[in-house]
Amino acid sequence: MLLIAVFMMAVSSCKTEKIVPGSEAPKDIAGNWRVIKATRNGTDLTSIIDFSQFRISFTDKGYTLVNKLPFLISKDGAFALDDPQYPFKITFTATGDKPVSTAFTYPIVNGKRQLSITFSPGCTNNTYVYVLEKAN
Amino acid sequence: MRSYLHIKGKNLWKLCALVVLGIALACCGEQITSVDQPATAAVGSVVPITVHCDIPTVGDGGPDYLIFGFLVPKGWKAAQNTTITYTSKQGNGTMSLIPDGTLPKKGDGLTWSAYMKKTFGNGGNLIDDMEWVAYQTDKAYSHTGGVEFIVDLNIKTKVGADNNNMLVKLGYTITDSGNGFTSDGNGTYYSVLLGNTCFEVTGGSGDLVDFCNPQLTTIDPPKSLDNDFVTLTFDGTVTDTQLSGASEVYLCAKAYTSDGKTINVCEQTSKTLLKQTTATSKKYQLTFWPRSFFNAGDTQTITRMEYFLTDKTGKVKVGYGNTDAPFTYTFKCG
Repeated sequence: MLLIAVFMMAVSSCKTEKIVPGSEAPKDIAGNWRVIKATRNGTDLTSIIDFSQFRISFTDKGYTLVNKLPFLISKDGAFALDDPQYPFKITFTATGDKPVSTAFTYPIVNGKRQLSITFSPGCTNNTYVYVLEKAN
Repeated sequence: MRSYLHIKGKNLWKLCALVVLGIALACCGEQITSVDQPATAAVGSVVPITVHCDIPTVGDGGPDYLIFGFLVPKGWKAAQNTTITYTSKQGNGTMSLIPDGTLPKKGDGLTWSAYMKKTFGNGGNLIDDMEWVAYQTDKAYSHTGGVEFIVDLNIKTKVGADNNNMLVKLGYTITDSGNGFTSDGNGTYYSVLLGNTCFEVTGGSGDLVDFCNPQLTTIDPPKSLDNDFVTLTFDGTVTDTQLSGASEVYLCAKAYTSDGKTINVCEQTSKTLLKQTTATSKKYQLTFWPRSFFNAGDTQTITRMEYFLTDKTGKVKVGYGNTDAPFTYTFKCG
């Protein structure tokens, strides 16, 4: 009898808690992005390579590259985020090529959204990180 | 009689010296006493190397595994191409690779391999393309009883998986899984032997990679493709060249492409200018994206390049080893 009572209490106590889903907004990365920091195997390249003309422009589903530099892909195409609310991975599908995915973070730094993308355009042992910010 | 006493005193001193030496050995943990290693080997051959170790034990501790680190060029892929056994009075056995998930107790979260790299770096090699491959014994040993383990580690490693000729300083370290690369009141729990001599690999078809001698030019990352950013450094401190004292140094290069063509970029402009790293460093650098630098077509891949350094007029040229021959660089990852 006691056991049943405890069980009932346990069950009912669980029912009282309801988790309200957070209203995290889907991440909208549409716009023109420029490189504000770049590293190769941890070495800062920002000041020794001219990144000022490079742009990656995201639209609803597609992207275009302007004034190309080594990047995950070298041709324009489509992109997708693994989760629109909490994306960890971005997948680029250059037209006519296989999709390629990479880790990606989307922090707010000094009030501005940044996009940090890690990739290896040449040898897989060479890792680059581009930190992008929306260009005005 | 006096003479007899004199000899006795001498012996006493010898005995004292031995006792002191014995304490020193017992307190100071693992020692690599010597390494037998050939001076040269052909690409693809299996090289025997013996690491002689002396492991005195003192106090209470363990049981711990003997840890061994082998410093080799990454291109050898030593983890896949090496076997290690050990022989000692107390028993024989094998050593196996330490999985990345098995972390050293005192390595601040680093893997054994990374802990070795952090502690001993590249072991005097001038190109950062070396790795420490970490092994441990199949059996553990205790630090008690004052037993002295005289252990030989018998390495068989296939050299030159990347098919490159090279000059390289191999390195060796031992410690135990309990203490790692630490010292305390009882002594030092590790021993490291970094190469004084350069091991030479011959007979390969790739570029000569010289880890031992300073080079007039280096390329970073050492392994890269035409779609990487590469940093070319000209080090004017290595030797006097015709460019010594030149205020500006330029790159004059020829690219070889996958479709059998060559592309020349030999101009003295901002595109080819190597900038001096500081006003008096005599080191000049240029970082570039080869695909763009040589203006390679979408379907072309640059497989290698030959290059010289020139002065502002383009007439003074410096090549490999300060000769008329070009420097060469092959774009590859392995």
